[in-house]
Amino acid sequence: MLIRFTCNGKAVQLEAQPEARVIDVLRDELGLTGTKEGCGRGECGACTILLDGKPVNSCLLLAGKIADREITTIEGIAGKDGALHPIQEAFLDKGAVQCGFCTPGMILSTKALLDENSAPELAEIEEALSGNLCRCTGYGKIVEGVLEASERLRQGSHHRGDVS
Amino acid sequence: MKVIGKQVRKVDGFELVTGRAKFAGDYQFPGMVYGAVKRAGVPAGRITGIDIEGARNTPGVIDVLTARDIPGPNLIGVLPPYDQPLLAADEIRYAGESVVLIIAETAEIARFAANLVSVSIDPYDPILTVDDALAPDARKIHEGGNITLSKKLLKGKGKAALEKADVVVEGVYETSFQDHAYLEPETVCAVPGRRITLYASCQSPFHIRGHVAANLNVPAASVIVVQAVTGGSFGGKDDVATEIGSLACIAAQRLNRPVLIAHERKESIIGSNLRHAARISSKTGAMNDGRIIAREITVLLDGGAYASESPFVTMKTLIHAAGPYNIENVEVTSTSVFTNKTYCGAFRGFGVPQVTFASESQIDELADKLGMDRLEIRRINGLKAGDSNPTGQVYAQSVGLQETIQVIAAQPAPPAHPDGGRYLYGTGYASVAQGISNGAEGIDVAGASVQMSQDGSVLVGIGLTELGQGSRTVWAQIVAEVLGVAIENVSVRLVDTDAVHDSGPTVASRSTTVGGMAVLKAANEVKKSLISMAALMMQTDEENIELRDGFAILKMDDSARIPVSSVATAAYWTGFPLMNLAFSKAPEANFDDDTHQGDIYIAYNYGTHRMDVQVDAMTGKVKVLNHFAAHDVGRVINPLGLAGQIEGASLIGFGMAHMERINYAGGIIQNANFADYALPSIKDRIPTNSIPVEDHNPTGPFGAKGAGEPPVAAAAAVFANAISDAVQFRFTKLPITREDILNAIQQRGNHG
Amino acid sequence: MRYLKPSSVSEAASLLESSQGMILAGGTDMCVYMAEGFCSPETLIDLTGIDALRGIQINRDDHEAGTMIIGACTTIAEIAASEELPTCLRQGAQAVGSPQIRNLGTIGGNVCNASPCGDTLAPLLTLDAQFVLRSAGGTRTIASENFFTGPKKTVRKPNEILESIELPIASCGKVSAFRMIGNRNGQAISQVNASVCLAIADGRMSDVRVAVGSVAPIPLRLVELERFLTGKDIQGMSLTELREPVLEAIRPINDVRSSAKYRQEVTVALVFDALADCAGQYSRVGEGASTC
Repeated sequence: MLIRFTCNGKAVQLEAQPEARVIDVLRDELGLTGTKEGCGRGECGACTILLDGKPVNSCLLLAGKIADREITTIEGIAGKDGALHPIQEAFLDKGAVQCGFCTPGMILSTKALLDENSAPELAEIEEALSGNLCRCTGYGKIVEGVLEASERLRQGSHHRGDVS
Repeated sequence: MKVIGKQVRKVDGFELVTGRAKFAGDYQFPGMVYGAVKRAGVPAGRITGIDIEGARNTPGVIDVLTARDIPGPNLIGVLPPYDQPLLAADEIRYAGESVVLIIAETAEIARFAANLVSVSIDPYDPILTVDDALAPDARKIHEGGNITLSKKLLKGKGKAALEKADVVVEGVYETSFQDHAYLEPETVCAVPGRRITLYASCQSPFHIRGHVAANLNVPAASVIVVQAVTGGSFGGKDDVATEIGSLACIAAQRLNRPVLIAHERKESIIGSNLRHAARISSKTGAMNDGRIIAREITVLLDGGAYASESPFVTMKTLIHAAGPYNIENVEVTSTSVFTNKTYCGAFRGFGVPQVTFASESQIDELADKLGMDRLEIRRINGLKAGDSNPTGQVYAQSVGLQETIQVIAAQPAPPAHPDGGRYLYGTGYASVAQGISNGAEGIDVAGASVQMSQDGSVLVGIGLTELGQGSRTVWAQIVAEVLGVAIENVSVRLVDTDAVHDSGPTVASRSTTVGGMAVLKAANEVKKSLISMAALMMQTDEENIELRDGFAILKMDDSARIPVSSVATAAYWTGFPLMNLAFSKAPEANFDDDTHQGDIYIAYNYGTHRMDVQVDAMTGKVKVLNHFAAHDVGRVINPLGLAGQIEGASLIGFGMAHMERINYAGGIIQNANFADYALPSIKDRIPTNSIPVEDHNPTGPFGAKGAGEPPVAAAAAVFANAISDAVQFRFTKLPITREDILNAIQQRGNHG
Repeated sequence: MRYLKPSSVSEAASLLESSQGMILAGGTDMCVYMAEGFCSPETLIDLTGIDALRGIQINRDDHEAGTMIIGACTTIAEIAASEELPTCLRQGAQAVGSPQIRNLGTIGGNVCNASPCGDTLAPLLTLDAQFVLRSAGGTRTIASENFFTGPKKTVRKPNEILESIELPIASCGKVSAFRMIGNRNGQAISQVNASVCLAIADGRMSDVRVAVGSVAPIPLRLVELERFLTGKDIQGMSLTELREPVLEAIRPINDVRSSAKYRQEVTVALVFDALADCAGQYSRVGEGASTC
């Protein structure tokens, strides 16, 4: 079946089995291997992508469901000039990354949160990231990374506001 | 110091946050095929037949391999004689044991076909407990019997001295199997050739290379193992990586096609090593003034079906069982036993969390019996420089335990809470010492290379692996500091067995210390060349020159400076060596094999934790209100990385103490998934406040000591003590689940 | 495998009839079953392309009565975020899986999957929900109490589609709350969950509904307990007085997730907490507290 969708801002059309998992389509067909498989059962969040801006498990998402929809993967969040997204910068600065396997999913869940709620409370951060397991960090540095990113994004948008 | 002690971003972080890092499963090669294994499914028995027809006839299946197809000895392990087959030939020793390897065009087909394989097994009564394994008439799981290793430690008069004690406390403590639960399941990818290349998610590439070569029946040098970016290991990606790495290589050479084997989560739990379950019987004798005069401890480890790292874990428990205390008489027996369960091996902490839980629980019981303050009893007995530790080893310096106790004592007291409400409140303390380096477990050498290019950038090579713990960043910092260059100008090679030196295994919190010393030595040699060259260029003596801020600088006149790139270029053309390969060798452990008295480790990391908890008496739910974790790390190299190590290790300890337990029924794991095997989520995190204490360690680079493991033990023990304090009930088994807590509250309510 | 994505309910019903396929909604359970090899359907009929199955509608009649209609493919996240819906249902939805799961999973899927630990089921029972089943032959409406027949079993026939869930407006006007406990705080599967929904007049409870999940093969209404609570003062409930009636009403089992004993004890606590939540809502909003 020919499936058309938007991936990281680009229109994509490809021939895929509609019952194929989206994680496999992304990794095997599009070479977007930043999306990771940690459990294949929707229990770890390593495969998190954004579907129309909302985080979902790409291991539980069938290709037939993404027709005409918009997908964002970790490869799609850096700036056009290749500069890191403020969330990526903040994660590095705050030590939110150790082995890095949960990181793409963690960053995408964070992006979904901050896109909706620019100044989240601690409990809101924990709720938003509760579907992303991490075994390395103990999560403290991840929370710091999210808070830092939120701060930078707010300042950044403020600055942009000044310019315009 | 310009770089040491400064907060530094992870040097390999860019690839990780952008999704560009190549983990083993991200390699794609033309013609690649996929492997999956058929597992035994029963915990013990003898294979009487294997029917592979259904699998072979499945469209898309390319090859089906059994034990007969292994060119070499079909054995892996850590210590010879190796005992674990890649594919079981006759005996089945645990339910997760691999029997048949299927290679197919896709992973799905391979798994589907694996389900079609029928293995006929004449079952034995499985041996599922250490008691059954040790029964006099027990069936022998291995030819040599059911004991992997049993060792004894004797200091002073040992248990005989308990008679002299004013008070003796006695208890039996148990811990459960714990899964590593790294987010990336074990994955390898083999590419055939005259020299075969294996990209592996792994911890010790040289160990894998040896086993791959042996099982392929080729020389080690014709195998190249490249460590792919590895999604966590914590001790877990050693044995299993040799298993699937060897299988992938054998299949790849047979088929002349690249082969990828990736475990599913379930396989990662049932088919790779776990943390040993332990039963620890302990007696502690003290005088009325609180001085501990004797401890007698018996450690029994359930090691599962194969030896793996059990001998080393046994040694580690033996040496650490009596805790970080100055005790004249100690007697410990540690025994690891085979059972028909998933084999156990290395897991962050390596036996120390189990014995520390027992030891620290008993220290609290002793304090209570003596009517002493629980932190005070640790202070009275805690090791100081010049004291003799349980193996009789005396360190003249870098014994920072007392300072960690002081730091913990100085933290603000938890707020007082009224009695009688729905919530119970408690505070716990725990101290730990954990040996750094291989010590008694083997010779400890690391090799590292440092190479400067003409532009002044530096490439570091070392055979130890980055697993997320931040070692590459630490090594880069050391080199940047020594050569006076920006850390951005230092890169650390991937671990490729063709390109770096065998540095031994990445274990035992040894990367910063033993690895760091090798890096430091090599960097110092390159520094010598640069200084000599700069001295020639500036027409001055070498001692007048320093390397700083990317320049060779004349000490007495800061403005006289040459960019290090110019110095490097000149050195290159002059023929001064800009590369050095250096080795660091930890002083050899020197001890009596019968008593285990002697010098074991190059250093210990010491720590003391405090935890304040709130317990819901209606549900057993726990909220950790405060967690202070003070560790003597010698010298902080990267505060950011260190805090991450202490916080992450603490949550693994917390998981072990509160939530995580492998549930067996009839030798089959019942919760081999992340829904029922509950590792902590972000909503379960604990508010760890890491507090480094710096007591300079002469055996580490810039005085540093390893820090990756010790918080696991302290956090597990402190949780048990805090909960026991809150509930006023001594818990003796880990994990202490919500259910256990509620049961205890109700028991206490009924009796008290 | 055939994958069909109809755009109307009638098309879906006739496809289901002709193909004998299996229904796919959010897929958060189905994909796990397929991955585990528990089922390998020849035909999947994906309902999530049907706009009519999404969203929440209120049909009020003249007498302040009527129904609130929830499309079966409304996602769990939408339920949790919908301010129109009763508290217990929103809290139950919020307790399902993770944000990722809630963004894909649907309330119809949670109901038809009929796991005894499904976190929207007990709330729906306490709201006197009705389930509308549609087949090529027509529709029938089943009371939530009669819908579940066993673990992962319901009265829905293979050729029927759960089209919508209807809540009486009267239920939505009551005070309600949901509580659950699992083996961890995040992404936990309920070891027990409990929902209560009741009217309060002069501080006294009436029209009480209590339901619990994970303590029996199906989510269970605790009718005896409802009777016990009726007429009592919402503010004055103590854990001790709840204990006996709750324990008498449930017969939980031991399994990999929890022991029967723990389930019993915690059920008491969860019912107590849910009642306390209701009491809190009542005292904040006062008489006639409504969450709609």
